[in-house]
Amino acid sequence: MRQGVLHRLDGVARTISPFFVTLLLVLFALLPLHVADFAPIMPAVALIGVFFWSVHRPDLMPIWAVFLIGFVQDLLAGGVWGPGILGLLLAHALVVWQHRFFLSASFILIWCVFMLVAAAAMAVTWLFTCLAMLTYIDPDPVFFQFLMTVAFYPVLAWLFLRGQRLFQR
Amino acid sequence: MNKPTGSEIRLASPLKAWASRFALLLLVGAAFGLMLIGRTNSFLVEETRTAVTDMVTPILDAVSQPVDTLSGVIDQAEALANLQSENVALKEQNARLLHWQAVARRLEAENAALRNLSQMVPDPRMRFITARVVGDPGGAFVRSVLINAGERNGIAKGQAATTGAGLAGRVAEVGLRSSRVLLVTDINSRIPVVVGQGRDRAVLAGDNTDAPQLLYLGPTAKLRVGDQVTTSGHGGVFPPGLPIGVVSAVGDIGVRVEPFVDWAHMEYLRIVDFEMSGILDFQSVEAARAASAEAETAAAAAEGAGQ
Repeated sequence: MRQGVLHRLDGVARTISPFFVTLLLVLFALLPLHVADFAPIMPAVALIGVFFWSVHRPDLMPIWAVFLIGFVQDLLAGGVWGPGILGLLLAHALVVWQHRFFLSASFILIWCVFMLVAAAAMAVTWLFTCLAMLTYIDPDPVFFQFLMTVAFYPVLAWLFLRGQRLFQR
Repeated sequence: MNKPTGSEIRLASPLKAWASRFALLLLVGAAFGLMLIGRTNSFLVEETRTAVTDMVTPILDAVSQPVDTLSGVIDQAEALANLQSENVALKEQNARLLHWQAVARRLEAENAALRNLSQMVPDPRMRFITARVVGDPGGAFVRSVLINAGERNGIAKGQAATTGAGLAGRVAEVGLRSSRVLLVTDINSRIPVVVGQGRDRAVLAGDNTDAPQLLYLGPTAKLRVGDQVTTSGHGGVFPPGLPIGVVSAVGDIGVRVEPFVDWAHMEYLRIVDFEMSGILDFQSVEAARAASAEAETAAAAAEGAGQ
């Protein structure tokens, strides 16, 4: 009986871990690193988390989790509510729409697709932030942030994969 | 368990697809809803945001300390490497500062004497609260930081946040134990300033770049690169005379200001409690308005009774 409860708890922990790992990343991305000119181009870690888990374990990254991650991210950032959520929802929807494609795709290919998805998601976020604030925001930092995010993807993806293997053992 | 039959699967998968499509539409709609709420109900937005920030700040506070220590160690190593050249520069600076100290002492005495002569109303006293920067959201859309002090420590909305070098921003949201400081470079930041020898009035407006702009300069203003920009104290929110930066560019792209604050090494902020209720003090304004309305109605009633 006890074994059963523990087993079930373990199962629950595994199921919600992608969600919590992504939330933790969003939180840690807030830490002031005191590196010159790094803050404006901080990689969009929530986007990496949502994309990675939507590709590899779509069952563990349901759409409501994507919404919540986006909401927490927008709340902590201190900007407008909504645009960040829309970007993440778009990324998730694009991956789910083409999920068959990812079944046999290599890492490099997935990385390339991530580039496209991230570009679309960040463009949507930028557009709706401009609309919500009723001003034109210089898109240059968004572009550099996009480059940083794409460059950062393999690092986080590697960490996620290691974590997943550790769990499966 | 019964295995699903073929027809059940054929029925279930379109249903599932519809359900997921419906969920997507619903959540996209919810995101738009949140965007609208954010535009229209700033009070709710602030309350929710400060509640979440309050929850997260203790964690950030704990985790950011080792990060700060690490960057401190790196800074120390850098300082060790440049020890000799820095020493020479500091000696030079010290000589210059001693001269300035003498000048300042003389001016202080003169100032006190003149104030005495003209019986000027003294500026309200200032109180300082020092807080650690525990969060920096980064990204392309906002320039703000989280500090680990809030209402409990005497922080209030509208107070100026400074480093040793100059003004960094103003307190925009206050929670119980955390606050958000809107930096002078943020696209929503507007600060009344005076510029240069002519003390021309202007508004320092951020646009998310490192060099905010000067707006609403008078037509007669003559500015040069290197002119000092300080807070003007207009609006009674900030104390007058807080240094902000120097004019870094004058030309077609507008007048740009380079702030003194070193954004990369902003570990602590000094919050200036300027004991004066400025225009941002909505509560007292509301209270005063209510009181005057009450007085008016009372006066009208008395008048009516008199007739």
